[in-house]
Amino acid sequence: MKKALHLGLILVLVMSFLSACGGAKDNASAPSSEGTPASSGSSASPSESAKADELPQKVELKVFMSFPRFKDQFEAYFAQFKAKELAEKNIDVTIKLEMPNPDQAKQILQTRLASNDAPDLFTLHAIADIPTYYKAGYLSDLSDQPFVPKVYESVRKTVTYEGKVVALPLESLSWGYLYNKKIFAEQGIAPPLTLDEMKAAVDKLNAANVKPFMLAFQESWIPQLMMALSLGGTVSSAHPDWIEKMNKGEASYRDVASVFDIIDLIMANGTDKPFEVGGEAGSADFANGKAAMWVQGPWQAETILKVNPDMEFGVAPLPVSNDPAGAMINLATSTSLAVSPTSKNKEVALDLLNYILDDQDSAPLFEELKFNPVATMHTYETFPWISEASSYVADGKAYLDLSLPNGVTDETAKLLQSYYAKDVTKEEIIETLDKAWAKGVQAQQ
Amino acid sequence: MRLTKKRKQSIALLLFAFPALAFYAVFMLAPAFGGAAYSLTDWNGLNPAFSWVGFANYAEALTDDPSFARSLAFTAKFVVFMVVLQNVIALALAALVESRGRSKAWFRTIFFMPNMLSMIIGGFMWLFILTKVTSYLVERARLTFLDRSWIGDPDYSFYSILVVSLWGGVGYLMVIYIASLQGVPKTLKEAAAIDGASAWQTFRSVTLPMIYPALTIGVFLTLNSSFKTFDAVYALTGGGPGRATQVVAMNIYEEAFSFNSRYGYASAKAMILFLIVVVITLVQLRIMKNREVEA
Repeated sequence: MKKALHLGLILVLVMSFLSACGGAKDNASAPSSEGTPASSGSSASPSESAKADELPQKVELKVFMSFPRFKDQFEAYFAQFKAKELAEKNIDVTIKLEMPNPDQAKQILQTRLASNDAPDLFTLHAIADIPTYYKAGYLSDLSDQPFVPKVYESVRKTVTYEGKVVALPLESLSWGYLYNKKIFAEQGIAPPLTLDEMKAAVDKLNAANVKPFMLAFQESWIPQLMMALSLGGTVSSAHPDWIEKMNKGEASYRDVASVFDIIDLIMANGTDKPFEVGGEAGSADFANGKAAMWVQGPWQAETILKVNPDMEFGVAPLPVSNDPAGAMINLATSTSLAVSPTSKNKEVALDLLNYILDDQDSAPLFEELKFNPVATMHTYETFPWISEASSYVADGKAYLDLSLPNGVTDETAKLLQSYYAKDVTKEEIIETLDKAWAKGVQAQQ
Repeated sequence: MRLTKKRKQSIALLLFAFPALAFYAVFMLAPAFGGAAYSLTDWNGLNPAFSWVGFANYAEALTDDPSFARSLAFTAKFVVFMVVLQNVIALALAALVESRGRSKAWFRTIFFMPNMLSMIIGGFMWLFILTKVTSYLVERARLTFLDRSWIGDPDYSFYSILVVSLWGGVGYLMVIYIASLQGVPKTLKEAAAIDGASAWQTFRSVTLPMIYPALTIGVFLTLNSSFKTFDAVYALTGGGPGRATQVVAMNIYEEAFSFNSRYGYASAKAMILFLIVVVITLVQLRIMKNREVEA
């Protein structure tokens, strides 16, 4: 009797495990299975009319994108593509969409590429990844594709390497720092354009008991943004050939040591316990008015508005010195889509790529994803903060995000964290970054 | 070839062990040798082309890498604390459990439970406790000594990691020590009690030498695992702030998968860590095995 009871219990446990596994597997394969019902649904009607011609050619595309938060939008968009491709070219496309978390995406993609299992289309970070991937031979030349002339000139430059367009830009950004419009209006502050004006604004905020800057240093990419803006503004206005000289080993971070001025100001007038605040928590705090300014980009807009949909924030350029010419907006392209040269269905893959910037359907997609317009067909109305940033760009107060050698950005991120914790000094940062730059240049040979 | 009885037995043994041996070879040995091979190249994990650079990676790791040296020093400090504290606490808990009467199984279970959790999960749990719960307690219960950045302040994050690793690891050693304590002959302890030895004297002179083999194992296991700590540190501080709490395993992980993705260089550093652990544990085993005593 006891034995039977125990055996029964074990059986129940094992069954519950197996059913959970089966359930999880169903969820995991849901994206691809959702793709096939949609295609069978869409191929049902056209094929009825095209039945007289021939059976549609079956093609499977593997697409790898690192935005799990946009899964639904992209799946709907790909369903549209399937319908179009079937109607126009009689090809029944099945799209296997993989959407891992952005922190693991790079490693997963690199493993797939290195083991010859490359997806047909994949996303990568334009500024950071294009040089490495191009040298390894994982990007195909897209210069003669129909979408290229439609892309804005300044954005096209960010996905061009050695004269060839190698990726389709998806996320293009114009960013500086975010500021709380309500607090600025209450304190009578306008976005400062010089370091002294910024100091005056900080003093006013401190006097009114408002924390001037939001500090969210738990995730190392956030403190690194300060250096990106500071270095970008300083180099673009005062030292235009610094990057070339650094690549040749003839310059040093000492030449631009003034970048630390604004960083010191930010770190000295920020919120407490920054290492316990990550991106999400920072967005929540900023949305709730805990600080007046945050060195962050409008890519956090969605998260901020989720916490407080009534929050009004603006984008302003970060002043880096007492020269107002140094306060500029940073133009960058982050996520872009590339096609693998080893793709077995290159034509269909290129069709899908061009469809992302399709004349009719692209604008609604980009608007839904809250991406910035990157090409001529994107005539939708942009958010107020994007228009604000674009006004600075139209005034000429913008520069293209600096192209630093691989590894320097990550090193800067860690060093700035240590700098706040008073673990390293300014001199040590300068030395370490110089060395990291040299190593990065060497690794790219 | 004639199959003698002895040969048949050996072949039978090999066949029985074959599945496990095959898995071990494919999943443990092959990657280890692969790693050793990559350590002699400058592969960046992505590019199909790479060049053989011989021992240049090893030379660079030992001479030109301040963050590697710093992480080695930090790990060494962590190991010393862990070895002493984990074994002392595990032994104390084992003695405590052994001295209980009916509540023995209950205490054993509670102290062993943290070990059953994956350290990543434990790490995230403790992250929540050390950041959100302590700030709540400071506000409501006015326990102001808790009011510091347990994770963010480099001075205190070391102790946070230590506490979490101890919490997770002590249970395992405690079970080993319980088993060895049960193997100490009662007659010896009774003889010592008759001769008038106090509890502490009995422990030090009778029990301790008898459980020496377990002590050897305990110290060996702790040395081995604490050199390779990764989970708890990754979950709690991520090596931060900056590199203040970066242990060697994290340094290697960072080198291989972030920054320049210098896979070959990171493999060289991993081989260096392996050699260090091998040397230290061999020395430790040799010394302690010589001091073991038979009943």
